[in-house]
Amino acid sequence: MTGPAVPAEEPVVIEVERPWREAWRMFRRNTAAVAGLVTLSLIVLVTVLGPFVYPVDPFAPTGPLLLPPGEQGFLLGTDQQGRDLVVGLLYGSQSTLMVGAAAAAITITIGILFGALAGFYRGWVEEVLMRITEFFQVLPPLLLAMVVVLLFSPSIYSISIAIGVVSWPATARLVRAEFLRLRELDFVKAERAIGARNVRIIWTIILPNAAPPLIVSAALSVGIAILFEAGLAFLQLSDPNVMSWGYLISVNRPQILEAWWPVTFPGLAIFITVLSVSLIGDGLNDAFNPKLRER
Amino acid sequence: MLRKFGLAALAATVAAGAATVVAADTPKKGGTLVIVSSQVPRHFNPAVQSGIATMAPGAHIFATLVRADADWKIHPYLAKSWTTSADGKSVTFKLRTDAKFHDGKPVTSADVKFSIETQKANHPFKTSLGAVTGVETPDAHTVVVKLKHPHPALTLAMSTSIVPIIPKHVYGDGQNPKAHPRNIKNVVGSGAYILKEYKRAQYILLERNPNYFLKGRPYMDRIVYKIIRDASSRVIAMERGEGSLFAFMSDVAAIARLKKSDKLVVTDKGYAGIGPNTWLAFNTKEGPTADVRVRRAIAYAIDRKFITGQLHRGVSTPSTGPIVPGSPFYTREVETYDVNLKKAEALLEEAGHKKKADGTRLELTIDYLPAVPDVQQRIAEYARGQLKKVGIKVTVRNSPDFPTWAKRISNWQFNMTMDLPFNWGDPVIGVHRSYLCNNIKKGVIWSNTQQYCNPEVDKILEAAGQETDPAKRRALYVKFQQILADDLPVYWISVLPYHTAYSKDLGNPPVGIWGIVSPMDDIYWKKQPK
Repeated sequence: MTGPAVPAEEPVVIEVERPWREAWRMFRRNTAAVAGLVTLSLIVLVTVLGPFVYPVDPFAPTGPLLLPPGEQGFLLGTDQQGRDLVVGLLYGSQSTLMVGAAAAAITITIGILFGALAGFYRGWVEEVLMRITEFFQVLPPLLLAMVVVLLFSPSIYSISIAIGVVSWPATARLVRAEFLRLRELDFVKAERAIGARNVRIIWTIILPNAAPPLIVSAALSVGIAILFEAGLAFLQLSDPNVMSWGYLISVNRPQILEAWWPVTFPGLAIFITVLSVSLIGDGLNDAFNPKLRER
Repeated sequence: MLRKFGLAALAATVAAGAATVVAADTPKKGGTLVIVSSQVPRHFNPAVQSGIATMAPGAHIFATLVRADADWKIHPYLAKSWTTSADGKSVTFKLRTDAKFHDGKPVTSADVKFSIETQKANHPFKTSLGAVTGVETPDAHTVVVKLKHPHPALTLAMSTSIVPIIPKHVYGDGQNPKAHPRNIKNVVGSGAYILKEYKRAQYILLERNPNYFLKGRPYMDRIVYKIIRDASSRVIAMERGEGSLFAFMSDVAAIARLKKSDKLVVTDKGYAGIGPNTWLAFNTKEGPTADVRVRRAIAYAIDRKFITGQLHRGVSTPSTGPIVPGSPFYTREVETYDVNLKKAEALLEEAGHKKKADGTRLELTIDYLPAVPDVQQRIAEYARGQLKKVGIKVTVRNSPDFPTWAKRISNWQFNMTMDLPFNWGDPVIGVHRSYLCNNIKKGVIWSNTQQYCNPEVDKILEAAGQETDPAKRRALYVKFQQILADDLPVYWISVLPYHTAYSKDLGNPPVGIWGIVSPMDDIYWKKQPK
């Protein structure tokens, strides 16, 4: 039989966007999130470059005490020790961001460890780990953080640890929920069928698939950690040897009735940073859950 | 003036029944005095508890044998008169016969004996009655205090609630006086006011004692201590007229702010007897500060005038030695270590602390007493900046609460610490303790935590504590201050800027040497507040 040869079908290339690129596309659509990202990038840039542009001791008094903003060339005024607030904010962002990042890292690490083990192994492991999680969850976080800081005396490390130690339970519960969902799915079952070891399943199969909500939660916990640091500083629990926004608020608070600027500007800096981190978190949430967004 | 203050009165007989304090115009009766306070008392018995929280209301509730005015003069109170024997080892007090406790029982010599014995056994100010060996009561209204050696500080200690007269029929029931239930409930004294109510950490309500032995007094119907824990809220309460008197203010910004009010008077009077001395103490036994040259270098690097003039905006006065400037024993003839960075560096060089490549010579820590930032943390942070200039890298150690700080310092785990001990009127009571060899007591805060020991100083202090001739006594203390300034176990900085704010309409505000830690039976409203 002859006939027109059936032309070989053109292979149809289905454009499957990679999930990360898709996420970035969704993220870009959220203007607020992009604004947050830009703001945070600027803050990080200033933090990194600031000390090179302005190489001074942030604790050294450079002018009269409590000079209002704009006077004698001090853009934001001076604080109660005669320190330039511009310098204080510039150097303070370092430790503030560092505490935020370190505390978030601790939160995520403990959270993943507890959540993954509990969600994967279930049974008595889950029972024990979740009871511990609940124990931490029912303690008032600020009080617990204060106790931890008091125990080790206030330093930038003890503060980061304290914040991390009190904020992980929510992450642990989130990770556990994801693991409970994912462990029953076919691709995980398939891995198990071919004899993959548990460690491999947890780390390379389930965890990457649980990543999206985790990233969102990590972003939000950075913001929470920065707020926490400021809260502890407000209660006079800050490291007096490291310039931070919380420290500026802490030492200038007694003068607040008389001089608003040494407390207000660091407060604004914290507000803007936490806001941009939250906006980024929202954007990430939209990016990883496009269906939610369209609803 | 200050020189002819009343410690000399000890040797002389004081005329009986002399009027205590005479008001300029005729005081009016009635009204309520609201005192704004941050202090939460544990109880109201100052015989067994020090601290302003207990001593101030205690001074209104419990009368004392004698009282003091603004010029260090001692006046009769429960005692009509007193005489000191020629050898100075026995003091005889004649008591008023008309004084009664709030429950109607008379105040007798038995109560005085009991009070002195209870105080001596329980009060933390061991030196206040340390010289007392016994109390005799020849009759119901005569008390003879027997002393190991002459004790010129005796009447001054008895002029405030350091030695209150407490009723034997209440506290003499064999219970531990430190934990006696009547220390807080149904408190009975013989003072101008009666404790009516105490809501813990909220308010203390005192009412006029109608049977007070000084006829016609007190003028106020009521004194209310309104306890407000937040510093800003206290200032606002004063501005809004919710409080009419606010003592022991140490917050520079609050002082500046209240000074602007046209309804209030702000004064630093009323703290001469208390003598709060802000200082930087050194560990003289261990670490680099064991070397006197390092201590002197640190003193030369810090500018006391910047602290009082700038940090404290002129509301505090420089303190140059162990005895505060308000005291009659104070001398300015001492080494004051006026700021001199070159000298500081030379001294460090001499002590063998060479400059390293990064510009530092040595590293030290500085602690500070928490909760009073203006007179502690701010100075510590300023000192860190100054010492950096001469190559000393200082780490500020934040103590989150008082026990943390007290534990570190009393166990000698420090290089330097800010502190603010009180002089308490006579050097015997509040000064000796910080410098005597035998008061180096591990674990005891506000003992000689510097661990400074100089046998010559010990000898001078022992002699000064017993010297009854005011001129000779002063000479001894002058010598003491000069030696101390040279040895420099402590770098004295300023007299804590304690201030009192009170309503312009108040007459006879508490500006005596003991301030509000006094009977306050003469304060009155010139014009009642609305």
